[in-house]
Amino acid sequence: MSDTWTNRLSEYLDGDLPDKERAALEAHLPSCADCRATLEQLRRVVARAQALDDRPPAADLWPAIARHVGVVSLNARRARRRVSFTVPQLAAAAVALTLLSAGSAWLLERRQPAQRAAQSNTTPSPILTNAGTYEANPRYAAAVADLERVLAQGRSRLDTATVRVIEKNLGIIDRAIRDAQSALAADPANSYLNLHLAQEMRRKLELLRQAAVLAGART
Amino acid sequence: MELTTPGVATLRRDLDQTGRDAETADVALAASGDGRAFERLYRTHVARIHSLARRMTGEDHADDLTQDVFVRAWSKLSTFRAEAAFGTWLHRLAVNVILARRTTIGTERGRYDDSEGALDGVAGRAHPAGLSLDFEAALEQLPDGARQVFVLHDIEGYRHEEIAELLGIVPGTSKSQLHHARMALRRHLE
Repeated sequence: MSDTWTNRLSEYLDGDLPDKERAALEAHLPSCADCRATLEQLRRVVARAQALDDRPPAADLWPAIARHVGVVSLNARRARRRVSFTVPQLAAAAVALTLLSAGSAWLLERRQPAQRAAQSNTTPSPILTNAGTYEANPRYAAAVADLERVLAQGRSRLDTATVRVIEKNLGIIDRAIRDAQSALAADPANSYLNLHLAQEMRRKLELLRQAAVLAGART
Repeated sequence: MELTTPGVATLRRDLDQTGRDAETADVALAASGDGRAFERLYRTHVARIHSLARRMTGEDHADDLTQDVFVRAWSKLSTFRAEAAFGTWLHRLAVNVILARRTTIGTERGRYDDSEGALDGVAGRAHPAGLSLDFEAALEQLPDGARQVFVLHDIEGYRHEEIAELLGIVPGTSKSQLHHARMALRRHLE
């Protein structure tokens, strides 16, 4: 049995009925046993729906999914391994890089006074000149710019965790380069500083190359 | 005097946070190609996704759709932003995948009938006394439109405006479908 209010009972239950109609329905309910019974049943349907348990599929779907996404495909895994790194691998590289840079800085601090004394009467070796002009070298600058451009274009294809680790590593290297340049400004003839600067610049180039390959491989 | 157990609450909060952190780490690992991390995510969420697919489309299509959802999730992991919980993101993706397939599935089953008359069949279906139809089985008997609105609103907690947008209908239709679904299902409460 139903009346004009039956079809509005769900809206009433959900609080969606306009105030005027809600008041009219509430005035109607005490005198209509059918509407009261239906309303109670609808309440129980909603409660039942909200109490339903989720249950897993009868069969394990993971093997099929793994095949689809290439997790178990040996060829795909090999291809992926050639160009990509896991987050732990990248994180470990970041830690190693940090330790390396910190160690270099510590060595610099220890060696500089003795080297200054030793170098005060000597002529700069060829590497001093090379390292000092390394960053100003147009080929180096062009190579870095090219790789940065490739990386910027492919950045959206890398996952955020990978981008974060690459940026962290680049930040560490850039800081090491700036530190070495600052130290060289005060002591331009320091062969260790020149060597360190050159190494950090090569390291930056290598990381950019790897990142660019990674970005290009994710197309 | 009211007794409180802040230690338990704190521990529960810490465990929840630890769980979220572990899941966030698994998402990052999976996005970088780690299949084992992705399997852990699958194990955590498969029951909810499969239940959603089963209720929205029926038992026959739930396995296929669940696989599709996780395959799609794998390819889209790089677009996941940690502002939302991974489960929320995955659930929304699942709804989109399921709804994108719903017309095809409805046609395959030959019962894509959203008319109000179709609901009468569910409400009045006779079954032997003492063998009341299971609530979930009754849900599966509903016409597609009413069933999808009911699942999204009463089980998954979507609002009528959201449902209307997802299904390409107006909110009034969503409300009407929901009411008819509830009216049909009240016969199968026991």
